[in-house]
Amino acid sequence: MSQTLTEKFYYLMKLGREFEIRCKEEYLKGNISGFLHLAIGEEAVHVGAVVGFGKGDLFCPYREHVLALARGIDPKLIMAELFGKATGVSKGKGGSMHLYEPKMDFYGGNAIVAAHLPHAVGAAYARKLMGEKAGVLCIFGDGATNNGTFFEAINMASLWEVPVLFLCENNYYAIGTHVSRSSALKDLYLKARDYMPAEVVDGMDVFAVYEAVVRAKQYIEEYGKPYFIEAHTYRFEGHSMADKGDYRSPRELEMFRKKDPIDLLLKEAYKEGWLTEEQVRLIDQKVEALVEEAVEFALSSPEPSEEELYTDLSCGVCSDVIP
Amino acid sequence: MDYEVLMPQFSDTMERGKIVRWLKKEGDYVEKGEVIAEIEAEKAVMELQSFKRGTIKRILVSEGQEVEVGKPIAIMELGERIEKPKVEEKPKLEEKPKVEEKKPPPPHKETEKRIELPPGFASPYARLLAKEKGIDLKELQEEGRLTSPTHAKDIEEFEKERYFTPKALELLREYELSLEDLLKEFPNKKIDEDLLLAYVEQKGIPRRVPVSSVQKSLISNLSKSFVVPHYHIYEVFDLSLIPWDKEITLTHWLIKIVGDAMQFFERLRAVYREDHYLIYPNSNVGLAMAVGDELYNPVIKEVNRKSLREIAQEVRELRKRAEEGRLSLEDIKGATLTISNLGMFGIRAFDAVIPYGQVCIIAVGMQEGDGKTHMTFTFDHRVINGFHGALFVKHLKERVLDKNYIKMLKKGA
Amino acid sequence: MLYRDALNLALDYAMEHDPRVVVLGEDVGFYGGNYRVTDGLYVKYGAKRVIDTPIAENSIVGTAIGMALMGLRPVAEIMTVNFAMLAMDQFVNQMAKLRYMSGGKLFLPLVVRMPQGVAKQLASQHSQSLEHFFASVPGLYVFCASDSISAYHGLLHAIRMDDPVVFLEHTLLYGMDFPFEYVKNFDPFKARILKEGKDITVVSYLKMVHDALKACEWLEERDGISCEVIDLTSLRPIDFETIYESVRKTHRLVVVYEAPKTLGLGAEVSARISEELFYYLDAPPLRIAGEEVPIPYNRKLELRAIPTPEKIYERILSWSKSHGL
Repeated sequence: MSQTLTEKFYYLMKLGREFEIRCKEEYLKGNISGFLHLAIGEEAVHVGAVVGFGKGDLFCPYREHVLALARGIDPKLIMAELFGKATGVSKGKGGSMHLYEPKMDFYGGNAIVAAHLPHAVGAAYARKLMGEKAGVLCIFGDGATNNGTFFEAINMASLWEVPVLFLCENNYYAIGTHVSRSSALKDLYLKARDYMPAEVVDGMDVFAVYEAVVRAKQYIEEYGKPYFIEAHTYRFEGHSMADKGDYRSPRELEMFRKKDPIDLLLKEAYKEGWLTEEQVRLIDQKVEALVEEAVEFALSSPEPSEEELYTDLSCGVCSDVIP
Repeated sequence: MDYEVLMPQFSDTMERGKIVRWLKKEGDYVEKGEVIAEIEAEKAVMELQSFKRGTIKRILVSEGQEVEVGKPIAIMELGERIEKPKVEEKPKLEEKPKVEEKKPPPPHKETEKRIELPPGFASPYARLLAKEKGIDLKELQEEGRLTSPTHAKDIEEFEKERYFTPKALELLREYELSLEDLLKEFPNKKIDEDLLLAYVEQKGIPRRVPVSSVQKSLISNLSKSFVVPHYHIYEVFDLSLIPWDKEITLTHWLIKIVGDAMQFFERLRAVYREDHYLIYPNSNVGLAMAVGDELYNPVIKEVNRKSLREIAQEVRELRKRAEEGRLSLEDIKGATLTISNLGMFGIRAFDAVIPYGQVCIIAVGMQEGDGKTHMTFTFDHRVINGFHGALFVKHLKERVLDKNYIKMLKKGA
Repeated sequence: MLYRDALNLALDYAMEHDPRVVVLGEDVGFYGGNYRVTDGLYVKYGAKRVIDTPIAENSIVGTAIGMALMGLRPVAEIMTVNFAMLAMDQFVNQMAKLRYMSGGKLFLPLVVRMPQGVAKQLASQHSQSLEHFFASVPGLYVFCASDSISAYHGLLHAIRMDDPVVFLEHTLLYGMDFPFEYVKNFDPFKARILKEGKDITVVSYLKMVHDALKACEWLEERDGISCEVIDLTSLRPIDFETIYESVRKTHRLVVVYEAPKTLGLGAEVSARISEELFYYLDAPPLRIAGEEVPIPYNRKLELRAIPTPEKIYERILSWSKSHGL
């Protein structure tokens, strides 16, 4: 691992972590409302996958702040969206679960479990039909693999041979139900293995995730076929702000906290000499400033005008391509 | 035992099917499950298998034809193979079936009763109208002059009765006048017939007279007749020998004499059909008949076999039916020649248009003092050429002067 | 021209002129479509653009959304509207919302076609009319076509649009032959007045238009009642202006539709008329619609469950009589 890559991982994971901690604070102050799903503890999967995948379309579930940050969307625009402001990335109409930036091939969060899987398949089909090589990254949780749409999507992706990387972040819980109580197969990658290559990776280790995704990307783009990765991870917070997460034992929580992906990254980086404490201090400062700036931007941004209620419903134009 | 093979329904939306090909012909023996025909429906060609074992007796729908689902397309005689299958006389293939036009349901016997409510109710629009017209709905409802609930039409009727005499209302319809316009023109005034007539005269408004269905078909046939290539023969006849009277009129005599003459000229009993003529054995003579504003053309059939009296009676019967508007299709079809007599109006000579589908019309003018009468013959040139036309006219001229013949007719009357 | 051929012609035209147009659905390709609407396209444009899908309705619509996001112009076929129930998430939560939730950043040039309605004895799970399900969802356009002209032009218009359109057809219309002509500037958002009249405004769409027209012919011939028949080619949005204009003239409204009466499209049209034109009404609006039952298999019962020309005729006649016409 190169030094710059490690620095990038740390920066993005720290930014994600601090951004979300601040989100929690702002939520409690009443500046953010609705559903807020935090990815604290899952940063290694999000950052490792997005950085590893590089260029390509990205379809995400509703826990997507860190994914959006890793893709490079301005924290100010994301925070403003969470605040419901006109300057938000979705003009304040989407909120936490619906961040979109097609200019960065970021096709957003989706609030319906597994609904975006066929979107990713269709997108990959379209790219392939148009003669482009780029694959599509589709991230979803363990809960999605129990949904019929999951099986429809992996069947179609395999049948049609389209380049989708299905990345399942298994944090063991679908809201409050443990994976062992909702899935007949404990190893989720087995559900896809007969359709496509499938592997398991330690989702607390950003380097492992990164390497697996880079390999998978090469595969899907070279063969034009799908690939499946199951990444084991853990969310330190509840499912959303409304969930205390007390269905998990303190012991279990403590065990995973010891595997905090940021701590693991730092430990490895110091050991290998990829990062110095000074560098880390500078990054922390930068992250703190960025988050502060994002909140200030969001606070000072205007609310959407009332007319905005009726805009963006339709394009109101007809394509002039078909004569 | 006979078994009908029906047009199958291959799909839920299939309503009609087309026979693409018969794989069996009449007289062929068919095993159960054998394919007997290919049928096209919904753009797909499907095979029709036989559900029975037997011999195809008749094929009712030929290749390329389309029939509705459930209609018989062939008849099979069930049973084991017969050595010499009976094949019936070559049947007529079914004509392209007509799509049955949906008929409306029978009229209601108990028509729905109008909703009745105590005074004070009206439709929102009726209230709006009443307000505009300054009508007190409740008062009129209590007086029983308007029903409750009141609707727009009730107000219109009320307005009509209030401002128009019944005769004026009739005129309103005839001239298609707008109620609103008249009420504006004559505010708060009872409008009667005279006032209305003066109004239409002053404004130069035309009266609308609908074209009757009889007239419509006449118009359409006249236009078709007019393009038939035709020519005229003008001749003066001496009819002084014909002893016509009130009961047996000159027209009746002429029908008989012409009918008899037609027996000698088969082209006068013919109709033209694309590549052949149809020649009728008997003389069927049409008569142009004015009834009211309409022109009818009923036919007296088999004139050659009827007496003058019978003809006279039949003409009177036909006239009666025409007056009552109950001429049947039988009453008006089959003539090849028509007589039109305008002599009784003092018309000396005229010519007429051959009724569509016939080959000749004779236009009869006024009988002068000396019995001289102008007759104009119009012939369909495609059927009767000048030579035959001239012979026919000459024959007729001689016939009306044949004393014995006339005497015989009178006797036989 | 057969209704199905008009749809085929529109698809063919669009595919020929725009390589981004693709067709997907169950049996649409190699097999030629269960109602033969996509017949011949597979041979002409190949398996890549005429895509046979597994029986997975949610993902048929879902993948079409993904394709549209990437700039293709997919036309998905759901075999019948009944099966669209398996894809309601994609219709309602995805297709209808993505543009709005993204603040206008995403757009979906996407059409989903499907037939609905009672054909002949297909029983409850294959006979429904569910237009009101889709027409009640902001973010969707819902078009429908009652004849070959509106089928061809409506579908082509839908494909040209950069927004998601649900395009409803009627199973029984496919095999019907209608006069056809190319219409310049066909506008599906403008309702069509198929017959002018002065006494009653009759609003309908899809197959019921033809039954209503028949009934109105009888009313005119036998009872001297003159109906204005309006055919809706878009159910979301509905061209209320045309309906208002007609009702301002006739003061009476009848809506004829095949779905059960309760909460159907007729409820919406009647309610709007009552809201907007209350003082112009000379009678309460009348809805002639399906019975409140699943469609039964038996043919006699099946026909009892939906409006027929005879029933429409009788209902309008008795309603007119009760309400002073």
